[in-house]
Amino acid sequence: MKRLFFLLLFLNIIFAANAQKFMTKNGYIGFYSKTSMEEIKADNNQVVGALDTSTGEMVFQALIKSFHFDRALMEEHFNENYMESDKFPKSVFKGKITNLSSVDFAKSGTYDVTVEGDLTIHDITNKVSIKGTIEVISGGINANSKFNIIPEDYKINIPGVVREKINKNLEVTVTMKYSPITNK
Amino acid sequence: MKLYVKVALFVVLVIAIGGILAGLYLFNKKHTDTSTAKPDYLVTATVLQKEFEDNEKNASAKYINKILEVSGSIASVTPAGNTNFNITLKTGSDMSSVICTFPSTGDPSKYKMGDEITLRGECSGYLMDVLLNNCALVASRK
Repeated sequence: MKRLFFLLLFLNIIFAANAQKFMTKNGYIGFYSKTSMEEIKADNNQVVGALDTSTGEMVFQALIKSFHFDRALMEEHFNENYMESDKFPKSVFKGKITNLSSVDFAKSGTYDVTVEGDLTIHDITNKVSIKGTIEVISGGINANSKFNIIPEDYKINIPGVVREKINKNLEVTVTMKYSPITNK
Repeated sequence: MKLYVKVALFVVLVIAIGGILAGLYLFNKKHTDTSTAKPDYLVTATVLQKEFEDNEKNASAKYINKILEVSGSIASVTPAGNTNFNITLKTGSDMSSVICTFPSTGDPSKYKMGDEITLRGECSGYLMDVLLNNCALVASRK
């Protein structure tokens, strides 16, 4: 009897936890740079993201080769010279919402959040703190953020002549539309 | 001016103009047009996903940066973050599929869940799914 009770309790936790996990495989991350000499924009629409609303944990994964530029040559240089995407194919972020208590996942609305964690680009991991919003909608959750990164923080070396054409700070945009993970 | 000076100047000029033209050509080089490009491999979504799942290293070496012509059944059509859209093709796995990003010039309303399609795209690699970019439709059988 006691065993059955624990079994039920355990199952209950699993099912409850499942309802609190959200995911997407069609997330968007883009970056943008503008100087007087050049405007650069790249889009990646194949970002995998997961959000656990009970713990506030967020995970993002993206393939570097999925970033698409308007100019083919720029995309080639980005992959071969700067990101070395054959050697370091993935970029990963693992973090946690630090002000989870201020988000009511049961109530539709937009909530400001701060997410802290480890961002790995070009095989270099840095601790970052990123501001964004969590938008609770019926049937899902959206997450949005805009923040800046400095390529040199990730040992991405851009030669002097080219460096002047790229803004010191790259603006990164994140747009995720999560759906609940349904239990099979 | 002596003749050899003239010839030398002419050669330098030709090289300079050639260099500028080559530079401009590279700078303005377009992405491969996958709607007309000759595919490196013809494969079904099921076989492609299985190859990556079984041996990611070998499949990566074989397929990444290559143009693939992939056939499969549409599991979903998802508007992506900006004006692009993604088509997910069914595979033999419940967890992993083939996700294909189409450029903004495509029309997502042409595609329906369950359609059997053949598309061409450039393989970016494997995350949880096999990812194709710069996709174009080849054939659709409803």
